[in-house]
Amino acid sequence: MAEWARLADVPEGQLAAVMAAGDLEMRIGAFTMQLASSERGLLNYLRNIYRDTEVRLGLQEVTDVTLTVRPPSFLRKYIRPQIVPDPGFTVPAVPLPRRLTPLSFEMGMNLAVALKCCRYVNLHAAVVANDNGGILISAQSGGGKSTLAAALMGEGYRLMSDEFGLLDFDGQKLHGYPRPVSLKDESIDIVTELAGHDWMSERFTDTPKGDIAYRRVRPTDLKAAKTAVDAKLVIFPVFGKGAPGVVKRLEPSEVLMRLIPASTNYHLLGERAFVALTEMVKSCHAFEIQYGSTSTSLEIMKDLARRAGL
Amino acid sequence: VKARWLSIIIGTEKMPDTPKEQSELLAFADSHHVLGQMAIVWEGKTEGKLREQLENGLLRSAFDHKMLHFEMDRVKRALVGTGISPILLKGAAYVANDLRACKGRRVSDIDILVSEDELARVEALLLDAGWAFDAATANTYDQAYYRKYMHELPPLRHTKRQRVLDVHHKFLPRTARYKIDNEALIAAAVPVEGGDFRSLNPVDLFIHAAIHAFADGAFDTPVRTLIELEYLFSDLTVEERESLSARAKEVGAAKVVGTALWALASMLENEQAGRVLESANMPLVGPLARWSIMKKSLTNNSIAKFYLYVRSHLLRMSVPQLMLHLSKKLVRRVQKSQSAQ
Repeated sequence: MAEWARLADVPEGQLAAVMAAGDLEMRIGAFTMQLASSERGLLNYLRNIYRDTEVRLGLQEVTDVTLTVRPPSFLRKYIRPQIVPDPGFTVPAVPLPRRLTPLSFEMGMNLAVALKCCRYVNLHAAVVANDNGGILISAQSGGGKSTLAAALMGEGYRLMSDEFGLLDFDGQKLHGYPRPVSLKDESIDIVTELAGHDWMSERFTDTPKGDIAYRRVRPTDLKAAKTAVDAKLVIFPVFGKGAPGVVKRLEPSEVLMRLIPASTNYHLLGERAFVALTEMVKSCHAFEIQYGSTSTSLEIMKDLARRAGL
Repeated sequence: VKARWLSIIIGTEKMPDTPKEQSELLAFADSHHVLGQMAIVWEGKTEGKLREQLENGLLRSAFDHKMLHFEMDRVKRALVGTGISPILLKGAAYVANDLRACKGRRVSDIDILVSEDELARVEALLLDAGWAFDAATANTYDQAYYRKYMHELPPLRHTKRQRVLDVHHKFLPRTARYKIDNEALIAAAVPVEGGDFRSLNPVDLFIHAAIHAFADGAFDTPVRTLIELEYLFSDLTVEERESLSARAKEVGAAKVVGTALWALASMLENEQAGRVLESANMPLVGPLARWSIMKKSLTNNSIAKFYLYVRSHLLRMSVPQLMLHLSKKLVRRVQKSQSAQ
């Protein structure tokens, strides 16, 4: 029986062979994934950015998600090569040029979890935590969710998830899914400065979403994220260039109405999701914060966290 | 391998031993929309992530069923006071009758049938109640085509809820090669859902499923269709099974019902179906069609798929009609692409 091992400890050739055979099992927080790919670019990316992730060679159990990262057609393997993520069902993922294979992989995992996993209420949000509980950060695209999460990683918080808040059906606990923090454009420089070059992926330029880079998850995050945390604070960041810091307390009903559209499986889960979200909202402090710089948002966050007992 | 997978999905074979094959089977069942049905059969017999994956399938079908009940309720409201009691078809009928065929089944559209003289009134009431013709077929040609040749109105989509409602008045297109006795099937329908709707009786449900599978369309959801036929057949009493062949002949569906029984006997090893087929000496579709049905169920064979595709058009209308229709479609497509430029 194969045991769980650190990805970077697996010899490169062996990892490549197992991945090509579709026999690689990855475990990240609440979910396991079966991965199949022969893409060199993905292998290199994994060995760098996912180096501390737990893997098993040879599938020991079926997984929550399966993902194949491959060219969309035979032709596109050779002529202007492209890559698509295939989680086993049709997803709205555009083929990307081969140099962006890691993006295709990350996008595929997001879609697979968002559309397939229904053991939790999936919220499109980042989650950071300390020993006292968790902070759920939900934002529109460009609101600064990932930047704020990455900045809080430098302030004694551990990363539970950059992309999904996974809420228990009883509405108490947030489960972890710590994958690399996805950063866009100016955020890349901000976080590189905070975390250091060693913790960053290469910068992918000219992607459909501008420039993108990933901040690696720390081994301590990966380990701690196996334990679910109590939801204590819900934050809706709104970034505006040069805007002054403003904090607005939100009523539970408004928080609920904001979180429902942020959930990828609310309608599928129906009453269960409603009950879970209602319970969570009742036991959390919630704020919208407007800010113009990361230092402002961090200051506000420290204050709010203290008031929420974090 | 896939022949065994079909049997595993209906629970007559044991689960594969290796996680790799289990994973492939789950993906197969999910992509053929039968994961929920597989989950029903395997409930309580699996553990760990395998159980969780199967439960995901149940959750999706539960969602579908909830939506279906909601839509049925809205159709009922739209027709209240008219005395019209539509016949629920396919998934809606299985759910309303709580048949084995509905357990864990995915349902996307709702299909109802009303008599042709009720059709205009039903259409007006539904349009009044928030349904509208689906954008894809809202154009003049398609609207006219459906009304002249088809067995249903152009698909309706609810403007708020986006669910599709198909309103039939016959079981096959007016121009279809198979001539089905629509009146005989409608006359034998039975009340369901507190009398607001009707459904075909159990024997006719199987007959209609066979018509839908082998006399209409290109057998596009083979795995789901086979499982549906299997469960509808297994729910029949001994007397009902004995009456099946006579009833099939009566309504003009002997060949498709024979083919359905052949499919169950040969692909799901259903001995009862084989026995009925043999004792009643029922006709079958031709060998090329049968080969294609088998191939399309178990593999992704492109020749089988192509043949069934061509066959579906030939079943729908005569060759001259088909030529006329396809050339009009082509002209329309060319015009569209030119105006787009």
